[in-house]
Amino acid sequence: MSSNTTAEQIEEMLARPGAPRRVTTLRAPSLTLKGLTGDFFKLVQYRDLLYTLSVHRIKVRYKQSVLGAAWAILQPLSLMLIYTLIFSLIVRMPTGGTPYAVFAYAALLPWTFFSTALVNATNGLVTHAQLITKVYFPREILPLTYVIASLFDFLIASTVFAGLMLYYHVALTMRALYVLPIILILTCFVTAISLFFSATQVRFRDIGVAMPLLLQLWMFATPVVYPLSAVPARLQAVYKLNPMVGLIENFRQVTLYGASPDLTLLGLSTLISVLLLVAAYVYFKRVEATVADVI
Amino acid sequence: MSNLDLEFNHVSKRYRVWQQQEAGLTTRNAFVRRLQSLRKRAQDFWAVKDVSFEVPRGEALGIIGHNGAGKSTILKLLSNITSPTSGEITIRGRLSALIEVGSGFHPELSGRENVYLSGSILGMRRREITKKLDSIVEFAELRQFIDTPVKRYSSGMYVRLGFSIAAHLDPDILLLDEVLAVGDAAFQSKCLQRIMELKQAGKTIVFISHDLTAVERLCDRVLLMQRGELIKTGPTREVISEYNQATTSFVSSAPPTREIESLPRWARITDLAFRDAAGVMASSFCSGEPLSVRVEYTADEHVEDAVFEVFFYSQDGQLRCQLTTELSGARIDLEPGTGAVEFYCPELSLLPGAYTVDLTIANRGALAGTAIDWQFRCATLCVEKGKTVRGDFYMPHQWQFRREEKDAARNSSHTERSLGELASKV
Repeated sequence: MSSNTTAEQIEEMLARPGAPRRVTTLRAPSLTLKGLTGDFFKLVQYRDLLYTLSVHRIKVRYKQSVLGAAWAILQPLSLMLIYTLIFSLIVRMPTGGTPYAVFAYAALLPWTFFSTALVNATNGLVTHAQLITKVYFPREILPLTYVIASLFDFLIASTVFAGLMLYYHVALTMRALYVLPIILILTCFVTAISLFFSATQVRFRDIGVAMPLLLQLWMFATPVVYPLSAVPARLQAVYKLNPMVGLIENFRQVTLYGASPDLTLLGLSTLISVLLLVAAYVYFKRVEATVADVI
Repeated sequence: MSNLDLEFNHVSKRYRVWQQQEAGLTTRNAFVRRLQSLRKRAQDFWAVKDVSFEVPRGEALGIIGHNGAGKSTILKLLSNITSPTSGEITIRGRLSALIEVGSGFHPELSGRENVYLSGSILGMRRREITKKLDSIVEFAELRQFIDTPVKRYSSGMYVRLGFSIAAHLDPDILLLDEVLAVGDAAFQSKCLQRIMELKQAGKTIVFISHDLTAVERLCDRVLLMQRGELIKTGPTREVISEYNQATTSFVSSAPPTREIESLPRWARITDLAFRDAAGVMASSFCSGEPLSVRVEYTADEHVEDAVFEVFFYSQDGQLRCQLTTELSGARIDLEPGTGAVEFYCPELSLLPGAYTVDLTIANRGALAGTAIDWQFRCATLCVEKGKTVRGDFYMPHQWQFRREEKDAARNSSHTERSLGELASKV
């Protein structure tokens, strides 16, 4: 039985009088597998809230702005223009023959997804303090909706990427389909960091303040404006521990160069992302238990 | 299968109160102190301490107590907003909290969009909301405005929409906070009616409130909380009247001890009872309800032309009104022995509040302070919302509706009849 139908069926049962009712037990948080699966089941039950709230984010974000959803495109686009100005006119960056504009955009596209999601999700709990102290719902929904909204922005901004590829005559190969698993892993990683930061932000607002600086440093520690090959070989082992390295570099490889992904690198990113996601979820749930008291 | 919908099993909730340190003179100092304060074990505050209770299916349970007694914490624990520090809470069925209506509204979105948003925050499925949308809008009386952004709503409209969503949750167990105090009177009674419907449908209800009248009307049983502990459980009236007696704190003027001691006391007041229309003893009544006051006495000597009086003082120590046997010409001559005087008020005119009571026996025409017996601030009468009006007191009244008819002759019989129908006692 899939988890999807379980929730449905329970609801059907509840609708019938005399049907057995769901029993909920509330106690102090403890780390058990059963508790964790229970938490996950709750999230599945609340999937409609996840949907409604994500749509709401997308609608509201640009509601009173003149340019509206164009902002989703403008952000990576303007960054691309700035970096192109610097790294193709002022300093020449070796890109393996690819025009720098499209080279940078191929990395700025997933990077913007990562950074917007993180900036918004980190404040996700704090900005909803009012709600959190009044109603129960699985709190991870709040940071998750920002991740989903950013993913939506990512899709909009992808159209510009397609336009650039056409303009510069970069041909897509079947290998470009690798972007799908790459985006999936990237989403896992973004979610993990978002959960971790948003929960920490509740007690230590320093996280939010440090965010712009942190993201800037992180971007320069990731092959966004330069290729991975530019990193000295002796530093690469440490450098690659940053999961964003494997994700961004491979995203560029499969789209721009039509190359196969570096599976070792991607595997490392996947492993770290998944482990972090589990750890972040456990941590988040632990903070959640008393978040209403602290926020 | 257990028929207990809710079980609180030795539940405690601790809050850490972090002591606020004064900022240091230098940044370094402040930073070090911040770090120290993080490490330091802060003071513990137990908002709920080892509380156990059960709520069987279909019962309406009230929880009362002073501010800070732990009522709201219990509500937060039940609705899973925060977790208990120890103990276990078992909930059988779908629980919905009507805590603060309008939670999660977004001003930019239309009423309709907000119904979906707020509804899903409260745990409804989209399908369910779509099905109930018409009914929600109808209940909130907002059909015309449902596509207007809620930032253009008046606060009344806002609250109506919020309650309407919450009222359509269809839970097995309903948690209620002070929500009855929303909107205008008409909407309030609609809310109460909806809650009564849910109660009649056999839903389990937990109601946490300061409004004792509402608790009395709705609840079968009441828990009294004090400083995080459960101090009394029992039938509603019993617990409420105990709570009233324990909690009335007055601007007590010092008793005029010397005067009272020098009273002759040929006759003494021995007991006082307030009763309602059914003759049931109580200490809390609603404005406009009948009230009878029975004063018992024991006389040691013969007293000629005695006058019994009952005085009601408000919390600020002001004399509000008086019951007396003096106004009627009838004489009361007391003989040695016991007896009682009963006052009967068809409609209690005092407005909601707590009143302390003085009782006296005096000779007719006696000056103040020269009574025979004087029981100073000896009892409390709590008046709850009933026929509550604006002003200082409720004046019992009746009314009649009359319409001037042009063709009086032809319609006279009809007019007479409709007047008869419309005449009403408030």
